[in-house]
Amino acid sequence: MIDLIILIALLALGYGFGQYAEKKHYTSIRKRELILRSVPVVASKIPPQGKPNYDSQLVSGSVVISVDYFKRFVAGLRGLFGGRITSYETLLDRARREAILRVKREAKDLGAEIVFNIKLETASIHKGRGNGIGSVEVLAYGTALIPN
Amino acid sequence: MEYSNPKIPEGINTSKTNPLKEFAVLTAGVIFIAIAALIILVVLVDFFADKIPFDWEKEIPIERVLGNKEKSLLPDYINTLSQKIISNMQLPDDMDITVHYVNDDTVNAFATLGGNIVIYRGLLEKLSYEDELAAVIAHEIAHIKYRHPILGASHGLAVGLVLSIISSSSDDVISGLLGNTSMITVMKFSRNYEYQADKEAIELLVKLYGHAGGALGLFDIFKAGDSASKPVEFLNTHPLTENRILQVNSIITEKQLNNKLEMKVFPEEFVSWLSVEKK
Repeated sequence: MIDLIILIALLALGYGFGQYAEKKHYTSIRKRELILRSVPVVASKIPPQGKPNYDSQLVSGSVVISVDYFKRFVAGLRGLFGGRITSYETLLDRARREAILRVKREAKDLGAEIVFNIKLETASIHKGRGNGIGSVEVLAYGTALIPN
Repeated sequence: MEYSNPKIPEGINTSKTNPLKEFAVLTAGVIFIAIAALIILVVLVDFFADKIPFDWEKEIPIERVLGNKEKSLLPDYINTLSQKIISNMQLPDDMDITVHYVNDDTVNAFATLGGNIVIYRGLLEKLSYEDELAAVIAHEIAHIKYRHPILGASHGLAVGLVLSIISSSSDDVISGLLGNTSMITVMKFSRNYEYQADKEAIELLVKLYGHAGGALGLFDIFKAGDSASKPVEFLNTHPLTENRILQVNSIITEKQLNNKLEMKVFPEEFVSWLSVEKK
């Protein structure tokens, strides 16, 4: 019985803190996305034409985020039935956007006009611990063009 | 090619479903499947477990079923009484009962696999009459007669099987959640065993002494020993003493038993043996 109470307490705690952290993060992401819109990030491998007088430099941003206990539990249940693991979707969405924001931040600090050839890589951080840790790392990197 | 920098729309990569709703649906699904699997298994186990030959039970080494409890010599008096009870309970021919005595303060007696019954000194001390001791022994023998130890062990195995299947394919916490749910179903079975054994013990008492006073006396002792806080029957392996008393009374009314409460006292030598044992 005590196990059940502990479980419910952990779930409630995970849900409360998780939802709060997520909401706060999204607010911050939207705010910074608006600020950094002046630095476009494009996936094209070819640098924009007609801009010979630019220096290029690698810019990167990486972020590690974990889901809360509650969402991990829901994802575990999902593992039995199959289907969209909706509880992990926001985790990855936040991680990707945050990583790109960090790229943009770095580019802006360098005085770059645009970042091209942006790449995203995702790694899960649970090696050897099964479902114990629901964390991901998202790394974004690209080439910043800085006018000289 | 013209490059534009539009604002990216929100909510493309995430779904709007409330995680609480998903949680509720999934948890209900898991519990439903687990209970369905459990019921099917338990029905199968119920059907087959008492068809396991009693000889197979007897082959289990006694240390495996009793652990390392220090068994003392059973006094002749209890042995003679047990034999008298056994011969009056219409046990199958191949079923033989071994009564063990443990010199320990625990107020308990139990029946286990292989026809073994254990009585603790702590319980003997609480008893005042032979009728009550006979009720205890008959109750435990009834468990063996109806193969409750093997049924219980098989139920435990079935529950363990279902749990291990589920826990191996999911998180540990889920099995914790299910463990609690399924234990409650198992306890219900176990309470039915107690009622069945009580009923059998009353029949034996009537046969030997002409009334069921021993059972009532025994439950009065249990009632006095029950903790002050009112236990919830649904969370226990044993029924509430009050409900057991209700059953005894209903059997007494139903069979119109002669309810004179003249009970047989313990012989002198048993009382002195018990007081020596305690030291």
